[in-house]
Amino acid sequence: MNQVVEIGAGHLAAAYLLLIFPLAIMLWYRIPMIGETVVSVVRMTLQLIFVGLYLQVVFRLNNLWLNAAWLLVMVTVADVSIVRSCSLKLRRIALPLSGALLAGTAVPLMLFVGLILQRDNLLDAQYAIPIGGMILGNCLRADIVGVRTFYESIRTGEKAFLQSLAQGALLHEATRPYAQKACRAALAPTVASMTTIGLVSLPGMMTGVILGGASPAIAIKYQIAIMISIFSGTAITLALGLWLTSKTSFTPYGPLDRSIFRTA
Amino acid sequence: MDRPDALEVSGLTVQLAGQAVLEDFSLSLEAGRKALLTGPSGCGKSTVLRCLLGFVVPQAGAVHIAGQTLTADTVWRLRRHIAYVAQEPDLGAGIVRDILERPFHYHANTALRGNLARAPELFDAFALARSLLDKEIGDLSGGEKQRVALVSALLLDRDIFLLDEVTSALDPASKRKVIDHLRSRTEATMLFVAHDAESFPFADSVIEMQGGTT
Repeated sequence: MNQVVEIGAGHLAAAYLLLIFPLAIMLWYRIPMIGETVVSVVRMTLQLIFVGLYLQVVFRLNNLWLNAAWLLVMVTVADVSIVRSCSLKLRRIALPLSGALLAGTAVPLMLFVGLILQRDNLLDAQYAIPIGGMILGNCLRADIVGVRTFYESIRTGEKAFLQSLAQGALLHEATRPYAQKACRAALAPTVASMTTIGLVSLPGMMTGVILGGASPAIAIKYQIAIMISIFSGTAITLALGLWLTSKTSFTPYGPLDRSIFRTA
Repeated sequence: MDRPDALEVSGLTVQLAGQAVLEDFSLSLEAGRKALLTGPSGCGKSTVLRCLLGFVVPQAGAVHIAGQTLTADTVWRLRRHIAYVAQEPDLGAGIVRDILERPFHYHANTALRGNLARAPELFDAFALARSLLDKEIGDLSGGEKQRVALVSALLLDRDIFLLDEVTSALDPASKRKVIDHLRSRTEATMLFVAHDAESFPFADSVIEMQGGTT
């Protein structure tokens, strides 16, 4: 296979020309999103330049502690992002959720690198950082949907929830229907994408491996392993996330403690 | 030895969102007695029931159920003495039969599962068509939902009933049937909440609330 083609700075600028289409559509339909879009594109560019430079250093040093610290930074950023997106209070939810994110990322990552790739160094930067990032990114998406669905559906259906407690349900029994609903909502996109993968779109991991010069036969093995790791990671982070955050989100008598929400 | 009161609250003070809802409120009810808690809207009647269930924790005062103090540790066990029907009951979504079955999946009620067989008989007693058992709860009228909630409460065989405006959506004939049935439960302790004293003519006592106190 050929090696990956280097994109020069001038040629990369050509990619920005593609923005003409969405910006023109926004202008045509008078969608007030142009400023927001420009800010997002600038942010994306700056963030990726920074991350690219940083990762070059991380990859060159390939130091176990530096790699672990980078993964922890990613988990922390994901944690804050989930709590904010769910309109929950950071000081109440961030700590238990970080444990769930860490486990949801670390368990499949360690199995992927150690068991599937048979690497001695489980935190080898070349594998741990991109694979960890893919798993964590999906954990983040699943937690935003799942955690938000769980707490919002208890808040809006509080009368039915309290009725369950009044009927003698323990906390885990009363929250079970809401946890089921949250898990279904959060896991459904991954299940759906596994169903259509390769038919509707060529997945990111596979594309990356092919662009990196490997054959499609190798790429699909990576893709299968990453899909299963992502699904496993999202299930772990979601189940642990609901369980661990429940410890600080209900009063000792059972009702939902509404002070966990940022807005009344 | 004296039998403890089924329900006893003493010196309850509750503030919600900075507003005093209950102030030094006390009440006691012997086992088997029926009391009606009445008063104008917003005087704290429903809050008393919520305190008895541990849904509202008072700033001062104590709640005793069957002689035991309600705390964060005991509430899970003491709720097994109580059946509660809210003013506008929300039993969740689904088919009525499944909704009636749901509480029997809880660890506290698994031994009572056989009681489900009494559901059709209770439907008859409350003038509910048995065909409603196979309907979506969302398709039922307010009055039908109230009576289904009562059936669900009665199936749990509790000794204390907290009933919040449970006949408010019923027509006179259905109301009479519900009242006759509740009257026949002589062993049960019942605390009714209603706007007017005529709602439960068989109550042993009427507690008139005014601005969070008796």
